[in-house]
Amino acid sequence: MAVVIETLELKKNYGKHEAVRGLSLSVRAGSVCAFLGQNGAGKSSTIKMLLGMTHPSSGSGSIFGHKIDNESESLLIRQKTAFVAEDKRLYDYMTVAQIITFTKSFFPNWRDELERRLLEQFDLPPDRKIRQLSKGMRTKLALLLGFARGCELLILDEPTEGLDPVAIEDVLQIIVSLVADGSTVFFSSHQIAEVEQIADHVLMINQGKLVLDAPMDQVKEQYRHIQAVFPDPVEERDFRVTGIEKVHAEGRTVSLIASCNVDSIVEHVRMMRAKTVDVLPISLKEIFLEKVKAKP
Amino acid sequence: MKMLFYKAWVETRVRFIAGLIAVSVVCIYYMNSHAMLVYYWTQDIQNPKGYHFEWQPLAVHEYGWYLWHFLYDNYLQQVWGLFAVLFAFGGLIRERSTGTVLFSLGLPVSRRRWLLSRLSVAVLESLALSLFAVVVIVAGSWIIHQSYSHTQVLLHAMLMVGAGVFLIALGNLCFTLFPGEYLSVILTLVVLGIPYLLLQGFMLNEDMLGVDGALWLKSLNISHVMAGPWQMTWGAAPWLGLVVAWMLTALLIGAAAVYGDRIDY
Repeated sequence: MAVVIETLELKKNYGKHEAVRGLSLSVRAGSVCAFLGQNGAGKSSTIKMLLGMTHPSSGSGSIFGHKIDNESESLLIRQKTAFVAEDKRLYDYMTVAQIITFTKSFFPNWRDELERRLLEQFDLPPDRKIRQLSKGMRTKLALLLGFARGCELLILDEPTEGLDPVAIEDVLQIIVSLVADGSTVFFSSHQIAEVEQIADHVLMINQGKLVLDAPMDQVKEQYRHIQAVFPDPVEERDFRVTGIEKVHAEGRTVSLIASCNVDSIVEHVRMMRAKTVDVLPISLKEIFLEKVKAKP
Repeated sequence: MKMLFYKAWVETRVRFIAGLIAVSVVCIYYMNSHAMLVYYWTQDIQNPKGYHFEWQPLAVHEYGWYLWHFLYDNYLQQVWGLFAVLFAFGGLIRERSTGTVLFSLGLPVSRRRWLLSRLSVAVLESLALSLFAVVVIVAGSWIIHQSYSHTQVLLHAMLMVGAGVFLIALGNLCFTLFPGEYLSVILTLVVLGIPYLLLQGFMLNEDMLGVDGALWLKSLNISHVMAGPWQMTWGAAPWLGLVVAWMLTALLIGAAAVYGDRIDY
């Protein structure tokens, strides 16, 4: 499958602060790629660099083969990419209909039918000024303006923030249907449950560095939580085995997070004469918490 | 591009309407005051103890000079300049404070195109403002039974806009460089207004005193270039000043474009 987004050693410094520290990632065509990280981890800075809104301090990147740090190529990227920003701020002096007409004029592949459907589904009044809309309605409008562009790539920064559960479900369904139609979706979110629901690839960033880059299936299948109880106290250094991401030893009990090689790890634990060994599935939320707690 | 113009127009239309009102007030006030001022100046001329300025006979007998002096060489020019600068206020850097800049930059429009559309609308609105002043002057003069060459008033309006584009470009650069949403307006008006008014006042005194020792200063005096001579002809137009103003305008727009390209949002 072709690569849509690619970065190599991408860095962004704001003065002495390193917001993004040598990020190398790739997003394949037709995928729903979730971009996870804490607040201030570098997600928005990365997205802004991808879209030419900020300039990389070093490194390189491309979308559809167009370089992100070249103004004329960045224009081509934005013709093919729909972007919905985190804060969903729109021109509040325009009405819903006016901003749709305004945005539509820049995208020749605008999907009128989808626009009409979403206007109805989201219950957006065309004649109302944007300043008179609630936060949820503004978010829905911003998403409509992104979805209807008919772009090959959607970059969504916290797309469901501020929406009620029903609207969130609607939005996730729309994202899935757009991907079924051939689009690629790259989205950041703090809602891990949503990510587990629709993403087929996960990128995790912590303090500007990529700490996880794996397909969702692999994460679900290979990540395991291993708990073992020993007859005598053990130390963390006893568990230096390939695949162990995190060790937490307390007295005779040890808790391990494994990203792969689970059978060998269990064998190792048994060889250390563990009294009991439990291998448990682990949620993406737990992986996220372990990753962001760890120093990159 | 049409939609970018539309957006810039929607954002500045309140300022434009305020400009129309301000320009009307200035023009109507001076046309309405004409009879009274002529009466006082005539009294002065006839009174040996009254004020006797070199320009008074001209002001009394030439309605065209009166209008040029009070409007195109002074108050209309100042009001027009103020609003021309205000029309240039806005753009991507200001959208950062309103939070809409990411939406704008997410559209397939280059930063230079955003700048160009913004400046184009500012120039068009400034042009419309000057033409509106022409309409007010023509109508007002007809009402007070005075005649003034329509060609002359049109030429003065064109010259005011032609040289005044410099103010729009300088205002735009200042708005880009200065921080804050309202602070940048205040700083820009101070940076532009103080030298403009000082230079205009100085040159006015030089002219009235008949001193011709500051010719070089006239080339730098944008107010002088915008006003031109009161009887405008092809040869009398301040071509050198215009060329200097246009070159500086191009330089300022170029600087704003280069600086704008480098900003991180």
